[in-house]
Parts: sequence; C-alpha cells; structure tokens
Amino acid sequence: MFDQFMFVGLPYVALFSFIVGSIVRYRCRQFSYSSLSTQFLEDRWLAWASFPWHVGILIILMGHLVAFAMPGLWSSLMSVPLFLLVVEAIGVLCSFLCLMGLIILLVRRFVDAKLQAVTSYLDIIALIILLFQVCSGLSIALMHRWGAAWAPGALGPYLHSIFLLKPDVSLVVDMPVFVKLHIMSACVLIMFFPFTRLVHALSLPFQYFVRAPQKVVWTNTRAQARFEKKEKYEHERRLFLKAAVGVGSSIILLSLGTLDKFLSYFLKQDTTNSEQSHILAKKLQHLKQSAAERELELERMRQSSIFVANLSELSRDRGKYFIDYLMRPALAFIDEEGYPILLSAKCTHLGCTVGQNVDKDGRILCPCHISYFSIKTGEPSEGSPAKEPLPHLGWEIRDGQGNILVEQDSAGSRKGTLDEALKNNGKLYIAKRFS
Amino acid sequence: MEDKKNKFQIFLEFMRERLPLQKMNFETMVQKKEVPIHRMSWAYYLGGLTLLFFIIQLVTGTLLLFYYQSTVSDAYVSVEFITLYVKSGFLIRNLHTWSSSCMIFCLLAHMITTFAMKAFDRPREITWITGVLLLMLTFAFGFTGYLLPWHQIAVNATKVVLQSIEMVGQYLPGSLSTFPTYLKELIQGETSVGQATLSRFTALHVVILPLLFFGVLGLHLLSVQLHGMSQGVDKPTGKKEKFFPIFIIKDFWVWGCVFLGVFILAQCLPFESFSAYPLFEAYNSLGSTPDGIKPEWYFYFIYYPLEMLPFWVIMIGQVVAGVGLILTPWIFKHTSRKVLGMIAWLVTAYLVIITVFGPQIYEVVKGAH
Repeated sequence: MFDQFMFVGLPYVALFSFIVGSIVRYRCRQFSYSSLSTQFLEDRWLAWASFPWHVGILIILMGHLVAFAMPGLWSSLMSVPLFLLVVEAIGVLCSFLCLMGLIILLVRRFVDAKLQAVTSYLDIIALIILLFQVCSGLSIALMHRWGAAWAPGALGPYLHSIFLLKPDVSLVVDMPVFVKLHIMSACVLIMFFPFTRLVHALSLPFQYFVRAPQKVVWTNTRAQARFEKKEKYEHERRLFLKAAVGVGSSIILLSLGTLDKFLSYFLKQDTTNSEQSHILAKKLQHLKQSAAERELELERMRQSSIFVANLSELSRDRGKYFIDYLMRPALAFIDEEGYPILLSAKCTHLGCTVGQNVDKDGRILCPCHISYFSIKTGEPSEGSPAKEPLPHLGWEIRDGQGNILVEQDSAGSRKGTLDEALKNNGKLYIAKRFS
Repeated sequence: MEDKKNKFQIFLEFMRERLPLQKMNFETMVQKKEVPIHRMSWAYYLGGLTLLFFIIQLVTGTLLLFYYQSTVSDAYVSVEFITLYVKSGFLIRNLHTWSSSCMIFCLLAHMITTFAMKAFDRPREITWITGVLLLMLTFAFGFTGYLLPWHQIAVNATKVVLQSIEMVGQYLPGSLSTFPTYLKELIQGETSVGQATLSRFTALHVVILPLLFFGVLGLHLLSVQLHGMSQGVDKPTGKKEKFFPIFIIKDFWVWGCVFLGVFILAQCLPFESFSAYPLFEAYNSLGSTPDGIKPEWYFYFIYYPLEMLPFWVIMIGQVVAGVGLILTPWIFKHTSRKVLGMIAWLVTAYLVIITVFGPQIYEVVKGAH
C-alpha cells in the first residue's frame, strides 16, 4: 500500500502539479518566472556556489536524460570498461561540485542579514530537497557501484511505465533503500518545482547567445572614465587568467605525458625468462672478451715470445689479425716462398685498424681515409692520406719441440731457411727482443 | 706606483660597465625588462631554445646514468639494455641524442644571429665571450658523449680525433714536437683508447663539463639579464614588448611546441637510423675498422676540410677561428650591421654546404686525385 502510494500516486501527483502549476504560474504571474537573483545583495560567496552547482547539475541531468531516453545506446557505451569508469568519475566529481555549491548556497542564506530579508520558506525547502537529492544520488554512486551501467536496465522500465500510464511498482519495490529515496525525493522536487525559484530552469535565455553585444556608455564623463578603467582592469585580469589557465594546463598535460614515461623508466623491466638469459649470456660474453684482452696483455708482459699462428694457417690474400707486444693490432700474411710477413695493422695516418683482405695488387686498405698499403713493403700507395709505411714486425719460427729454426728482426734481416716440413708444421711467434 | 693604480682602476671601470651589478634588482631585471620588436625578433628565442635543449639533456642524461655502466665490457651491453628492455628507455636515450643535435643547431643559430645583430657590442662583451665558451663546452660534451656507448663508430671516431692531435707535433719545433703526443695520452689515459679513456670521458661528460657549464651559463644569463636585450637592428622600430609576462609566455609557448616536436621525433625515429648498422655493433679491438667511420654531423665543418686540405691549413684556420671568436667584440667593434650580416650569411652558407654536401664534395675532391 505504501509502495503503491510512493511509486504510483506520488509520481502522478508530482507530474500533475508540475504541468498544471507551471502553466498557471506562467499565465497568471509571468514576471515571477525568475531565479530571483541575489547577486547584487551578496556576490562573493555566490560565485563559489552558483557556478559549481550549475555546472555539476547540468552535466548530471544530461547524463540522466540520455541514459533514460536512449537506454540501448547508453548501455552499449557503458559496456566499455574505460568509458564506464570515466562516466562514473565525472558523475561523482559533478556530485561533489553540486554538494559544495548547495552547502554554500544554504549557509549564505543563514548567515547573511541582507539575504535573510528576501529568503522565503520555499527557498529553504527547495535547497534542502536538492541537497537531499544530491546526497542520495551520491550515496547510490558510492554504495551501489556502476550505476551508469545498471540503472538504465533496472530503473528505465519503471520510468517508461510511468510515462506510458501503465505504472508497474514491482519494478522498484526490491530496489535498495537509497534508490527508493532518490526516486521519492525526485517526485517531491518535481511537485514543488512550479512554486519555487526553480522555474527559471524553464526560461532559458537563448537569445543571449545570438543578440548583438551591448556597450554601456555613461553620460557622466567621470563615471565613464571610472567604468573604462574598470573594464581595462577586467580585461587584463581575464588575459592573466587565460594565460594562467593555459600555462597551468599545459604544465599538467606535459607532466602527465612525460612523468608517465619518466616514472616507468624506473619500474622493473618485464623481461621474459628467455630475454633475461639472453641478456646475461651477452654480458658474460663481453666480460669474457675483456678477460681475454687482459690475458693477452698479461701474456705480453710476461712472455719473451708469443704464439701467433701455425705457418700452414696463413694465407697470401687474407691476413690473420693478432695483437703485438704494444697491444696494437697486427696482421700476419705469407709470401710466395712461404716466409711469413708480419705488419702492424695500425694505420700510420690516424690510427684506424687496416683491413685484412689483400687486393690483386698485393695491397691492404685502411677504410677510414682510403689508404692502400703494400703488404710486401708496408709502403702506402701514391695519393693515400697516410705518408709513413706500416712497420714490419720481427718473428721466429719454431718446430714442435720449441727450437727456433728461422727468425727475422723488424728491419728484415733473416737467419735460417725454411724447408717443406717446417712449412707444414712450423709455428710462428713474435718475440719481445724484436719490439 | 701611480701608473699601476691607474691601470687597476681602469680594469675596475671596465668591469663595472660590463657587470653592472647595481642593476641587480627586481625592478630592472623583471619589471622593466623589454624585448624590442623588429624583423629579427625571432632570433631572441634561439638562446632560450638552446637552454631548453640543455635542460632536456640534463634530465635525460641523469636518467641514463641510472642504468649506464662505464666499463669497456659493460658499456655497450648496458646501453643496449636501456634501449631494448628498460621501459621507455628507448625514448629517453633517443631524446638525449636528438636533443643534443638540436642543442648544437640552436646554439650555432643563436651565435650567428647575435653576431649579425651586433649583440656582442659594448657593454655586452662578457655575454659574447661566455657564449663562445658555452659553444666550446657543448662541443666537448658532444665529443665525450660520443664515446660512451662503446660501439664501433664511437671508439674508432674517438681514436681518429685523438690521433689527429698527435699530428700537430710535426709542425712544432724541437722538444715541443712531443707535446701533442703527451697531450693525447693525457686525454686517453693510456697508450690507446681503452678503459682509462672511457672512465675519463664519463667523468668529463657527467660531472666536470656540467659543472663548468653551470658556472659559465650562470654568468651568461646574469649578464643578459643585467644588460637587457640588445637593440639588434640599426633603425629600431621603437616597438617593444614586456619581457615579463608577454615575452616569457610566448617563449614557453615556443618551448612547448618544440618539445612536442622533439618528443615525437624521439618516439618515432631512432637517431641511429641515419647510419649503417655495423657501425653500432659492439667495439671489437681485434677486428678491422668498419667502413664509414665519421664524427657526428656537427663536426663535419672541421672534419671534411681535415680530410681534403693539408693539415697545417686546418691548424692555422682553427687557431684563427678560435681567437677570432673570442676577440669578436673588439675586432668587429666598428663594423656596421650590414657587413656583419653578410659575414653571418657567408658563415651560414659554409656551414650548411659543408654539412649537407660534405660527403659529395669529398668524393669530387678525392676523385680528382
């Protein structure tokens, strides 16, 4: 019985009151169709109340309207999680704006003497109903989450049943108490609507947007000067505010865009197991390479001669790289008779490492500045940027037992001769005494 | 005695005019500062842009330091790790490389325009000289930073530059001729480019150069603020705008647009995509130097002449240019802005041609041999 009254009787009473009351008031007391602005009585608090209240409530009403007028479209939009999240967030944010506005509006009615003179009971009642309405809406949003998604399906049919004059109470009786309260107070609000200042919502001043701008001109020159000064000040203030908003919002955008990148830079890397092992293997390989170089260095400090290659490995058209006693790159070739040629591979121009491939004229190339060097003499060819020859290195050839059988110093004077057996199993060394 | 005192006083007078510290107050530096409006006004943004890029370098460089390891075995791997695995590490590194090039570009443009506008004229000599020092420091930044990734082109290009220091020796008399070799090894820290060099370059790039840069930049900005903007043209239009807040907001607007551009560039286009990959492999001390070892584009203006002309020409040219840059306020004291503009155009033309067409010119000259 109570539900029947609240969800069938009350809505129709409210609608009747709304329609008839609005029409009667418009026809009989047209000039009372106003928000009865109190701006000239008190404007400092009003700015902090009226603006947030109107922004918040207009956005929320728009949401309610679209959700219940086009439930299909709305539901399909709300099925995208991100979209739902954004809509809910905007809704809650707007509720807080409304709440802030209403509380300030209410408080200023009570504390300002000038306002109390013009305040009627209906004003207070309207504010309290609105406050109740916002609070119940906010409670639903916070306690029964994702209302934007479930409300059109759950409450839409009830609203439709009211407007189609086939009221169906069963659609709402099982709703949570805050939802019921929200519906009831909405009805009360609609009922009181035509008798309060809320009627200004029906008189939208659309012509403000299209009419020509008005210029205020004072006939009193002093007043006009004061007015212009104030206008100029206001203009500059607006410019400053615009700039501040521009700079502020660009700083926020910049921070959002870059901080996201900069903060994630410090997060743990999400690497797969195989990636991690790949990284580790690579690190290890480089460490081994460094270790090998250090060993070469140590060897060169301690050993009086160092193994370069087996004579049989060397070729005439492709040099073998090795490191000389001064830790510089060098190349080993072989000549027609089978004797080794050891050349420094550090270009005498600017110190690049000379390539290992021998061209048809018996030359090797430094790729940095295109210098050709003859491998036989080490001399750079005509027109090369390098002017000095690549120096020859001294060497010695040992047999399997380690006896030195042939040797040549860096100036090129040779001791001993090479036989066929040695060509196949001789071992080539560089020696400290030649460097 | 009398004479000495006078000289000291002359020096004091000189400094008083160049560093008018009595103007160091809120009124002159903020409230009254104005920026002239004329056809060259755009040039007033270039210094600020250079500063923006320096700030980007500072921030991204600090971030890179969190992952970079400056040892010959780890440097390459750590840089690769930043690029491939650290979240937005690719962006940070790419931003660092792109912005370094942009910084040098703006710095050169800033220098050429201030030259053409005769902004170095009395009493702004200190601004100019500190500016030249900043240019040299920035080149030093570029040179030291180039080695840190320890890939083929980095190490080999560093080797080439250091070796060319040694080549100066042949033109010096007597025992002086070993000095360049000594200098080279002082920079290298050992007989060839290795761990010692990498450690030194890291210390320079990350600590010493930034500290020096802060000091010189402080003096540069202070003297800019003290003297205000220079007139810039022979016939001032008389139109001016307030530095604060009008110019500064425009400046920030330009910064915003440019940052957006560099950010997008860094996100979309790896700086290394302009060179062949083998150059970015890990440095291999045992292999041959790969083809195409080149310094960064901003060294082309000295690199290609070095390739094509006798070394002593470059040496003399370098000394003349260096001294000329420092002494510009006195050399061009009585030169009109028209002539300065012409010189600026010539310098610009040289820089643009050698940087854009350097490789082609090199081919032509080498082909003629």
